[in-house]
Amino acid sequence: MHFPLWLVFALITLLFFGLSGVTQKLATNEISMELSYFWFVLAMLLIGLGIVILVPLDWHLRAKVVTLAVAGGFLNGLGAMTSFKALAVGGKASIVVPLCYLYPLVTISLALAFLHERLTRTGVAGIALALVAAVLLAQERPQAD
Amino acid sequence: MSASPVIAEKAEKKQGSYQWLFYSVLTIVLWGGYGATSKAVADDINAYMNQVLFTIGMFPLILLVFRSPRMSGGRKRGLGIFFAFLTGILGGLGNITFFSSLNSGGRASVVVPMSGLSPLVTVVAAYVVLHERMSTYQKIGLGVALPAIYLLSL
Repeated sequence: MHFPLWLVFALITLLFFGLSGVTQKLATNEISMELSYFWFVLAMLLIGLGIVILVPLDWHLRAKVVTLAVAGGFLNGLGAMTSFKALAVGGKASIVVPLCYLYPLVTISLALAFLHERLTRTGVAGIALALVAAVLLAQERPQAD
Repeated sequence: MSASPVIAEKAEKKQGSYQWLFYSVLTIVLWGGYGATSKAVADDINAYMNQVLFTIGMFPLILLVFRSPRMSGGRKRGLGIFFAFLTGILGGLGNITFFSSLNSGGRASVVVPMSGLSPLVTVVAAYVVLHERMSTYQKIGLGVALPAIYLLSL
């Protein structure tokens, strides 16, 4: 049986992203959100350093592109921090992670407002389902102490 | 004598059982903003370069948490640090395999929605490793969330 290389990479991506939701929860079960975030970013820096060393990069970029990409990292970092916090204060990985993955809902709204993109039918269906999913995923029973 | 930082964080869990929801919604908003900035620069930047700049953007937040009293303590500190570090490695390597999939012939229309379904792996792993159980509503919610994520990433 032959698997194309792209599919192997895609399946590894699926596995790595999926498992990272559980390791995130395992971390916050033992240490604070702040310490978890610190070590999470150190690991990301290591990967970034690996890319700088191993991959030929074109550093000739417009200032606006660099600013937006760095701002994206800042927003993603803040989001990672709040997702660690959601898990640290008792959120289940199996609820918090699928809920947070509905973020394209906001991305599409921002793209409509600022990037003047048009909404497709699949986009409308996705938004409708995402809103229903968000409400249902939020139906957590109060924890018994 | 004050409680340890991690115990204090766990106490927050008891004070308001829906705090996790507040932080989850905040994550959706912040990552939504990240998604919009990524869209804005997607045509002007190589994916690897984007990953490097994205990591640079994350760095200043370390300074924010570094001063926190919660940087000390933790029940099984070494184990917690290991899992936090592993989260970063999995996330970073996941980004690289994602780009590699696109660079080795994978169509974005297949690879992007496919990687978006990773919460399914999280749910299965959380069931096995963390023994997490979902309410009936949440199971239906997950069933609705997966096609939603798929459609939103098309």
